[in-house]
Amino acid sequence: MTLSAPRPIIALRDVQKYYSDYHALRGITAEIQQGEFFSLLGPSGCGKTTLLRTIAGFEDVSSGTVHIDGKDMDGVPANVRPTNMVFQSYAIFPHLTVAENVGFGLRRAALSRTEKAAEVDAALKMVGLTGYGGRAAHALSGGQRQRVALARALILKPKVLLLDEPLSALDKKMREQMQIELRRLQRQVGITFILVTHDQEEALIMSDRIAVMFEGQIAQLASPQQLYRRPISRQVAEFIGVMNFLPVQVLGENGGRVQLNVAGLGACEITAEQCPSGVQIGAASVGLRPETLTVLFEGEVARGRELLGRVEEVQYFGDMTSYEVSLPDVARPVSISMRNLVGRQVLERGAPARVAWEEGALVLFC
Amino acid sequence: MKALKLYAVGYLVFLYAPILLLPLFAFNDAKVISFPLSGFTTHWFTEMTKIPALYAAFKNSLTIALCAALISTILGIFAARAATRFSFAGKGPIMGLIMLPLVLPDVIVAISLLVVLLQLGIALQTWTVIMGHVLICLPFSIAILNAAFQALDRSLEEAAIDLGETRVSTFRLVILPLVMPGIISSLLIAFTISFDEFIVSYFLTGSSPTLPVYIYGQFRYPAKVPVIMALGTLLVLGSFVLLSIAEYFRRRGIKRRGGQDTGGFL
Amino acid sequence: MMQSSLIGRVARSENLRGWAMVSPTALVAILLLAAPLGMIVAFSFMTDGYLEILPEFTLENYTKAWADPLFRQILFRSLYVSALVTAATVVLAFPIAYFVSFHVAPERKSLWLFLITIPFWTSYLIRVFLWKVILGYSGVINSGLMGLGLISEPLTFFNYSVSAIIVTLAHAYAPFAILPIFVALERIDRSLLEASRDLGEGHLRTFWRVTLPLSIAGVVSAVLIVFIPTVGDYVTPQLIGGGKIPLVANLIQNRMLDLDNKPAGSALAVSSMVIVAIISVAFLWANRRYLRVGR
Repeated sequence: MTLSAPRPIIALRDVQKYYSDYHALRGITAEIQQGEFFSLLGPSGCGKTTLLRTIAGFEDVSSGTVHIDGKDMDGVPANVRPTNMVFQSYAIFPHLTVAENVGFGLRRAALSRTEKAAEVDAALKMVGLTGYGGRAAHALSGGQRQRVALARALILKPKVLLLDEPLSALDKKMREQMQIELRRLQRQVGITFILVTHDQEEALIMSDRIAVMFEGQIAQLASPQQLYRRPISRQVAEFIGVMNFLPVQVLGENGGRVQLNVAGLGACEITAEQCPSGVQIGAASVGLRPETLTVLFEGEVARGRELLGRVEEVQYFGDMTSYEVSLPDVARPVSISMRNLVGRQVLERGAPARVAWEEGALVLFC
Repeated sequence: MKALKLYAVGYLVFLYAPILLLPLFAFNDAKVISFPLSGFTTHWFTEMTKIPALYAAFKNSLTIALCAALISTILGIFAARAATRFSFAGKGPIMGLIMLPLVLPDVIVAISLLVVLLQLGIALQTWTVIMGHVLICLPFSIAILNAAFQALDRSLEEAAIDLGETRVSTFRLVILPLVMPGIISSLLIAFTISFDEFIVSYFLTGSSPTLPVYIYGQFRYPAKVPVIMALGTLLVLGSFVLLSIAEYFRRRGIKRRGGQDTGGFL
Repeated sequence: MMQSSLIGRVARSENLRGWAMVSPTALVAILLLAAPLGMIVAFSFMTDGYLEILPEFTLENYTKAWADPLFRQILFRSLYVSALVTAATVVLAFPIAYFVSFHVAPERKSLWLFLITIPFWTSYLIRVFLWKVILGYSGVINSGLMGLGLISEPLTFFNYSVSAIIVTLAHAYAPFAILPIFVALERIDRSLLEASRDLGEGHLRTFWRVTLPLSIAGVVSAVLIVFIPTVGDYVTPQLIGGGKIPLVANLIQNRMLDLDNKPAGSALAVSSMVIVAIISVAFLWANRRYLRVGR
């Protein structure tokens, strides 16, 4: 975030949502800043889409408040809220042309016919569909439909653009291309984007900040880097990427340093910053990302500390290799991912492996 | 699978046997409906135009069928919309009641309505027949309209509202155009059913009979039957044209939504 | 509790909007269908005066109806005719539905369905009359067979007979049987058939072990949608049977209107509907129980 004076465009305070006896949102409190690319990330059924729809006005909140640009949205119907939405199915009106779809929201605008046409042309140009205006909507490809949905939502210059899993229907190549394009578009128009996704990679790539949701609650709201490197709980850590967990005894804390005894790794000391969920003396666990562990080859020296393990499983991905390595006094093998650099050999199953690790990579979960 | 195809063709012959006989007798130069055929004539068609009672019955049926089609389609839109869009307590029972005439013998519908009318001292008129026809047509209208409303992606509505339209203008701008083919086929099918309906008309008609009631009466006089064959030929042609139009709109509706065609009416 | 009242509010609004939307149609159905049917039921328990119906509760209409051998005979005949019609219609319909679903190219399926439904939509009375012409004493079949020298004198098998009624009704209800079976067959995931073949079953065994069980739900609804209305058919016995073989609908009409004994007629109508309902429910139950048909 490079904003000088951030002000919340959306403020959610203790938002609760019940569907008869199902508690879909359990007290969501968050602020989303003007101009931010914000993602709601979580597994299906976590309430992320429900939250998006309460912001759009398609669902009433059971209690709590939603403010958009400082105004309480209670009782404000969806059609007058300053938000627009890109639907998961795109919801392109099949009986209208591309231009009629894009210009749909301008019907009530006080503009002349030519002004409206100019707006539509500009919107189509923005999403790279110049010249497609006369086409029938049902004849478009998935990627094109997505662009039409974007143009249609952005033409009204909403304060917030809501995107409900907009890329999930596209194939992998198209998805990666649209990720870059969406990010570029967001910077260009400067509108706040709120993206709902279950794809952690997509959220990491595109977002300024991410709210990770489980079971109707926000588990962690942070920047992508913070989320990846300092997840607040084992659940968040497991949902975003892969993490090795080891049992640990927290021995003590003084002067911002925390003393641990990690199973298999031995005694070590970490900083308070490595303990996002706080410190409690006693049994807990620590996490290590696979890429923070290193397999040492002939002649290489550990920068941190070193152990001797044994390769249990090898998965070769081409650009990298993932090893499962068993360590002495650790119940489960740990995952280690290594880039396949020029000349670097791939170890075989059963081979001994020297494993290097660093105290700075540990995350403590209490 | 040759045998199966042969069977299918044989079955179609069975289905079409009566209809194919119709023109044979309509153009047959004999007063008796039997084989062998004796010669070609268009006499029965010209004869037909000279019967004022037939013309009156035709006009009467036309009025009734137009009204019944319109009313059952409008009522069908309400019911189909409610059934596909909302979940509410008691939806099953009430939709079951509305669809009941689909399986309930027509005689029961007709007689129970008749008994009530007699009890209330209401004279049998054109509109009493229309009421009965609406009950009979309604399940068919709803079946067609349900399919049309069902195929509607809910997010299309939400998209229109999201873009600033109200519920009413969304209905006009998005829902109505998309279900219009279904509405047209409902109108045509309901018209065809009502125009052909006999039992309810037979029990609920007052002094002016509908066309089927008139036809039924003519079967008692063998001499009048060849004219009925001529009339029947025209009716079959007429309903074939109407149904083809209905089918055309149904398919266009599917195509317009870019969907897959999965079946016919009902 | 604030939460439960909120739940109520949300539920109510969906309820309210649904009912508001369905209310015009529901009102018509209640006034024109439910109320008259309720009235028939009420009448069946009342006493027949000379020109009016006396609101005195009685079971006499029922005891009289069931004591009447004519009613029992006609009701039994109606059920028997309907059962035969249903069996004939469904058995004849299944291969057609199967053919259209499995052996017709997808883009031509709706043409076939259109062809199958067309005769259904064309003048019912005239169709029934023409069956009489086809099956009658000097009808198409008899003159055809005699012309071919296969028979020396007309067959009387179909004249004014139950079999003629059955053929006519089986023709009239054909689409009602074909469409539900077709829909059920269309829903079968084609890879299930491939899986069965892959597991070593032949075409016939696959049909027997996979296709037929999966389409039974369609067959069940076809049976009910043909059986229930045919029990109450009025026109066919009148036109084909020449009124000589009355079915239960004709009897009800006779008691209700010709003899103007509404309570007696109502009792007949209610009795027949209850019998039909019992048979249908028993049929459904037997299917659930023994064939495990369900949603």
